[in-house]
Amino acid sequence: MLVRYRFWLLAAAVTLILPVTLSSGTLATEVLVYALAVLGCNLLLGYTGLLSFGQGIFFGLGSYTLGIMLTRTALPMPIAIVASILLGAVIAAVVGSFAIRQKGTYFVMLTLACAQMFYFFAYTATDWTGGDNGLLDIPRKSLTLGGKTLIPLETPWQFYTFVAVVFLIVFAALLRVAESVFGRTLLAIRDNETRAAAIGYHVKTFKLVAFAISGAVTALAGALHALMTGIAPLSNIEYHTSEMILVMTVIGGTGNLFASVLGAAFYVLAADWLSTLWPRWLLLLGLLLIAVSLFMHRGLWGVGESLWYRITGKRSDGDANGKLDTQGDAT
Amino acid sequence: MNVYLLQVINGVGIGMLYFLLAVGLSIIFGLLRFVNFAHGAFYLLGAYFCYQALQWGLSFWLALIVCPIVVAALAWIAEKVLLSRIYEKAHEFHILVTVGLALVVQELVIIIWGPLGDNVAVPEVLDGVVMWGNFIYPKYRLFLIGFTAVFAAVLWWLLEGTRLGSAVRAGSESSEMVSLLGINVFRVFSLAFALGAGTAALAGVLAAPVRGVEPFMGIEALGIAFVVVVIGGMGSFAGALVGGLVIGIVQSLMSTIWPEGARLMIYVAMAAVLLMRPHGLLGRG
Repeated sequence: MLVRYRFWLLAAAVTLILPVTLSSGTLATEVLVYALAVLGCNLLLGYTGLLSFGQGIFFGLGSYTLGIMLTRTALPMPIAIVASILLGAVIAAVVGSFAIRQKGTYFVMLTLACAQMFYFFAYTATDWTGGDNGLLDIPRKSLTLGGKTLIPLETPWQFYTFVAVVFLIVFAALLRVAESVFGRTLLAIRDNETRAAAIGYHVKTFKLVAFAISGAVTALAGALHALMTGIAPLSNIEYHTSEMILVMTVIGGTGNLFASVLGAAFYVLAADWLSTLWPRWLLLLGLLLIAVSLFMHRGLWGVGESLWYRITGKRSDGDANGKLDTQGDAT
Repeated sequence: MNVYLLQVINGVGIGMLYFLLAVGLSIIFGLLRFVNFAHGAFYLLGAYFCYQALQWGLSFWLALIVCPIVVAALAWIAEKVLLSRIYEKAHEFHILVTVGLALVVQELVIIIWGPLGDNVAVPEVLDGVVMWGNFIYPKYRLFLIGFTAVFAAVLWWLLEGTRLGSAVRAGSESSEMVSLLGINVFRVFSLAFALGAGTAALAGVLAAPVRGVEPFMGIEALGIAFVVVVIGGMGSFAGALVGGLVIGIVQSLMSTIWPEGARLMIYVAMAAVLLMRPHGLLGRG
């Protein structure tokens, strides 16, 4: 029982540790919001072998959808969130159908080019997105039913609780996806696409569904981010957001969903800390990325795992980290 | 004079710059099989080195020759120290290391030259306009078109007519085969990487008097270089040329027709090309 749910329990532990160790509820929420986005990216990169440089599209889209719905209509917030998720899935399927016609590096460039296209679209469509200024004053009302407050969301920590619950539900759902036959097929595609196709799997459909799920989760993260900050800025759909999500994913380690939570937590907390020390902290981030690429091929999770094996002197089973052996054919 | 014709000529000028930017990326991709996210950073360095050289009172012509060579040398070192260690790794690490390199360069530029951009003066000889009846055109832009055309021819000769060029082209087909033939393929990799970075830096030097310098011009350039390569077809010299011209002309024309949407239209053009030809205009399927 414990072993089966170990990753979910680890994630739950993180949601409990964050409030104890951090003084800012917003920072803790940010960790979980980005963890969601990174989970979406990891599903593509770690499980399907698709390196998407366009995750910012779905993140920004989620922010804008929620922002537009809450500032222009009187619809309740949960409906806006659901709409963001659905739109994220649809647009991800569209972008995906474009991009998966190509493989490898060509695919990466296509996703980045799509990201730039959506960025300039958001920049140009000022009536909808507010252009450079973004959407401002997105309300965050408590959820009420018949005049009674069901879930209060006013303070940062109340909102954190809400996000933590959403995060744990999504994490559980993604674990189910990853461990399902569908998830295992994605792994097969990642490891050897030709063979998976030869066995009879319709590889494109699997990739497309993975894309849609990833887009949905990332859009949810974007929507929660807009709700957290009260704005949907242009920067949420920028190159940097795509880059950041991808960087968090690789720093955490791919092929294991909990690694994404580590990656997001590490990046958000390190960025928060370093940016108070030195405005040019991105330089350090750049050096860190170079170091990770040269020396830490399996990310923070890989480092933790190696330590664990050294302590316990055994190898584990069951995780989706056959990555080490297959790195050679990934390109 | 017809404003559209003027914009088309403008577009050719911009397009040739985009070609320079993209051809290096395309060469590197063709041979090394990875997307160089630091490509924009080399363009950025080229522009800032030129800016610095002019600040020191050196001539633009000297900067035009020296800056790309310095950047190419830096790229050669970066390839030796960083990239050559990870060729056999998964491609996310190639991307990550170049993304890291791009961040380091961008932040160093901000530390050294400050976060705000500056203008770069057009060299005196090329200041002003050419008048030919009712045809009026800035001298610098004419020079830009001529110079890049000559450079493109030289580059074409370098790739098609020299031993290094044939090693680069053969390496894009099968680097294993090339090394079996007794050519030190890693040396070719380093040279191709330096050459690609040098052309990006040259584009940076040439662009500096047109658009000035600012620390984030690298990212913008990276996006455009990607689009040009995707439109033209990966690893294709002619593709980069056609893609660059298409994008330059689209951007120029749209800046008259619909200024706010000019940059959006670049990407719409890309989407349209890809819908019709998934491998780009001149890409091999």
